[in-house]
Amino acid sequence: MLRYVVNRLLLMIPTLIAISIIVFVIIQLPPGNYLESYIAELQAQGESVDPQKIAFLQSYYGLDKPPLQQYLHWAWGMLHGDFGYSFEFNLPVSKVIGDRMLLTIIVSGITILFTWAIAFPIGIYSATHQYSWGDYGLSLLGFLGIAIPNFMLALVMMYLANVWFGTSIGGLMDPQYIGKPWSWAKFRSVLEHSWIPVIVIGTHSTAGMIRRLRANLLDELQKQYVVTARAKGLPPRKVLFKYPLRMALNFFVSDIGSILPHIISGTEITAVVLSLPTAGPMLLNALKSQDMYLAGSFLMFLALMIVVGVLISDLALMALDPRIRLQGGVAR
Amino acid sequence: MSHRALRLLLALGAALVAASSFGAEEPPTLEADVAAGRLPPLAQRLPHPPLVVDIRRNDWTEGVYGGEMRMLMAKDRDVRMMVVYGYARLVGYDEQLRLVPDILDKVEDESGRVFTLYLRKGHKWSDGQPFTASDFRFYWEDVVNNKEISPFGLPQALLVRGKGPKFEVLNETTVRYSWDEPNPQFLAALAGPSPLYIYRPAHYLKKFHPKYIGLDKANAQASAAGSRSWAGLYQKKDEQYRFDNPELPTLEPWLNTTPLPSTRFVLVRNPYFHRVDRSGHQLPYIDKVIVSISEEKLIPAKAGAGDVDLQARYLRFDNYTFLKQNEKRNHYRVLLWEKVLGSQVALYPNLNVDDAEWRKLMRDLRFRRALSLGINRHEINEVVYFGLGVESSNTVRRSSPLYREEYRKAWSEYDIKAANKLLDELGLVKRDKNGLRLLPDGRPMEIVVDTSGESTEETDVLELIRDSWRQMGIALFSRPSQREVFRKRVFSGKSMMSVWSGLSNGIPTADMSPLELAPTQQEQLQWPMWGQYYENNHKGGQAPDMPEAVKLVELYDAWRMSATDEERAEIWGKMLDIQAQQVFTIGIVAHTLQPIVVNAALRNVPPEGLYSWDPGAYFGMYHTDTFWFDPKSHR
Repeated sequence: MLRYVVNRLLLMIPTLIAISIIVFVIIQLPPGNYLESYIAELQAQGESVDPQKIAFLQSYYGLDKPPLQQYLHWAWGMLHGDFGYSFEFNLPVSKVIGDRMLLTIIVSGITILFTWAIAFPIGIYSATHQYSWGDYGLSLLGFLGIAIPNFMLALVMMYLANVWFGTSIGGLMDPQYIGKPWSWAKFRSVLEHSWIPVIVIGTHSTAGMIRRLRANLLDELQKQYVVTARAKGLPPRKVLFKYPLRMALNFFVSDIGSILPHIISGTEITAVVLSLPTAGPMLLNALKSQDMYLAGSFLMFLALMIVVGVLISDLALMALDPRIRLQGGVAR
Repeated sequence: MSHRALRLLLALGAALVAASSFGAEEPPTLEADVAAGRLPPLAQRLPHPPLVVDIRRNDWTEGVYGGEMRMLMAKDRDVRMMVVYGYARLVGYDEQLRLVPDILDKVEDESGRVFTLYLRKGHKWSDGQPFTASDFRFYWEDVVNNKEISPFGLPQALLVRGKGPKFEVLNETTVRYSWDEPNPQFLAALAGPSPLYIYRPAHYLKKFHPKYIGLDKANAQASAAGSRSWAGLYQKKDEQYRFDNPELPTLEPWLNTTPLPSTRFVLVRNPYFHRVDRSGHQLPYIDKVIVSISEEKLIPAKAGAGDVDLQARYLRFDNYTFLKQNEKRNHYRVLLWEKVLGSQVALYPNLNVDDAEWRKLMRDLRFRRALSLGINRHEINEVVYFGLGVESSNTVRRSSPLYREEYRKAWSEYDIKAANKLLDELGLVKRDKNGLRLLPDGRPMEIVVDTSGESTEETDVLELIRDSWRQMGIALFSRPSQREVFRKRVFSGKSMMSVWSGLSNGIPTADMSPLELAPTQQEQLQWPMWGQYYENNHKGGQAPDMPEAVKLVELYDAWRMSATDEERAEIWGKMLDIQAQQVFTIGIVAHTLQPIVVNAALRNVPPEGLYSWDPGAYFGMYHTDTFWFDPKSHR
């Protein structure tokens, strides 16, 4: 077991190096660099550009150096916790991301809890009451949730909120708290504003989870051990929770691997539509304007999250389910 | 409710004071600070004399203090637009496009060579420190002539034939710049929307300059701030145009209080602002400006939802009907201001295209004229612009004193017959089975027009042009790409023709630079390599080898040496004439309109205006500092 964990950890190093190279190459692939897209953007708005300033920035940011050198500089910096410099904001990347990361984690955390809180009871209900009216009704809602893209839902809600209430939704806190240090009042304001984004972002995954839980649980409920347990006269609730539900949870544990990166980004488009000050829109803009260190460090962070998440879910599965543990042992 | 009552009271108070005397009344938001002694009283904050804003427009009235003006921008960096809208410059354009002193008390100009600038006595930066000649000296000695901060030397506008001016400080409020030869660009550069800043808040910036704090300390500060060199840190602090350093003192009407990154920028009044209205009230009227950052594509929708008080940027003409529809419900007005482009959309035949056969054709005057004659501008105007535009070649506009009817009409009337005749004269008489003319080497004439892929408007126009060119036996294909790819293709000669907007300043006076008319910049899509040659001082690109293009460069150089207005007007005339006759660029429709959303309670925004970057600084020229909210109409 311990050897397995160490092996997995060591394997992460070449994986991350490979990812960093791919990330850097992809960011460099589009023609031009940050300054060129900056110039083009200014000109599209009819503004003029000071060529001397551009020349200064070119050499200051090291954009005139060969790509290999730029890559090594970036990778070496990351090993020391220096994520590079954002051209767009004229600030070190860590300072740009800081506050947004916290908000992102709050919103995503609440969303995930919301998803679980809604999906579990509904999923169990529709599995145990298969083909009842309740199941049909909830399944219909679930399919709607899966079928409607998040950003679409966001747009519709924005429109309705404006037409019916004359207000604009969007944003994550009352304006007076923006850019202010964290306080109890600010946190409360964030909670008050976060229910719309949580519903919008959470609908899709809630619906998905309901379907998966229902399907997995239905599989288990028809197995013989359930029949045996029932025949022996165990109370129905205990029959459900003690065995089939636990077995049906494997998918849920393996989901953890994808949840971690999802916390950071996974809602870009919705966040853009709702103008949430989270990390997603920033990543999108960084990629668009070729702000390469900001985008690169972001993507590396996501990659790290995926690698760690997959590791955690593998380990958790092994701990939870003896079948996986034992089969793994035989293979080795 | 109480808010409204307060506003009404204030309005009443303001009216009373205005009626009673040349009122030295404090802006209400500053009263507490003045009473507590944190801020000196108004008389000590204003320079002597202050600039009295004296706008004689029928709809212009003196206002009352108060309110927050909300705007939307797409990126954090766009906060710089408040420097443009604020438009406090040493000299600036007024609504008649005349250059008038603004921050300066006056300017004396001796034969275009020697400029003496007189500052206002007692003028102060937004932090209360005096603004004097030493701020100009700091820029001259320690910024622009410092090899590390300015490795590339003096900016273009300070150079005449590669030579800089002589700089003198005459006394604490007077400085002088003198060149050996005339420098007509100097004042225009000072008045630009992104101006040439020849002064710096020296008292603040000295804290980052090794000359004043020693090299060791400067380097230590830089590495503590995560900057690669002290010059990098200095540059970061010294961003009067970017407006992203809240510590940097400013002379603008509102100062930014929010550092990047943020989604909401709050700008508050500058208590030391140098302008007053006719009754002596210090400007600006509006207390705060709130700039919120939103997704670019959502800005029209949000403007339509009434989330803004003043918005033009990121609104397009095709949003007009939607905006107009919500006008009443969301309590705003939609204005249409005139854009000053020489042509809203223009075709740029690439004279530097790398295909030899096409290059020869593009450089043939008859070919360019035929292409221009083969465009049905009237149809395009009706279909795409609801008939509101003016069919025109790519030249200056009617509101410019340099305008002549024949420039606009030159080769811009739809005449397929004449166009076909010109093509026949060129010897392009053979056709393939589809009726397309053949090039001398046997290829069919298929013109691929590169677009930056950003607006459907361009593709709509191209679609219509395609129909009429087809009648001349020429096929047109559009090739949408992405902005950087587009530029690369044009610059390297891969693209044979491209589409972009026409002249960016369609309303020049003879005093403004005719830079755009001559091959002087790589960005000029019709001759990028010749432009690069000029821009890089003959060290790159290709030397122009068409006599007309060479002539344009000569004329531009002559303008840069010119001393009098008559001389300049004559040069402009010659250049415009060459442009019109040579059809280097093919203009289509001008006089297009920019929708502007204005809160129904916001006063002093002119119902009609020019929406122009330079000259004009968009709203800047119309004095945003005199815009005010009418408490009676505010919801």
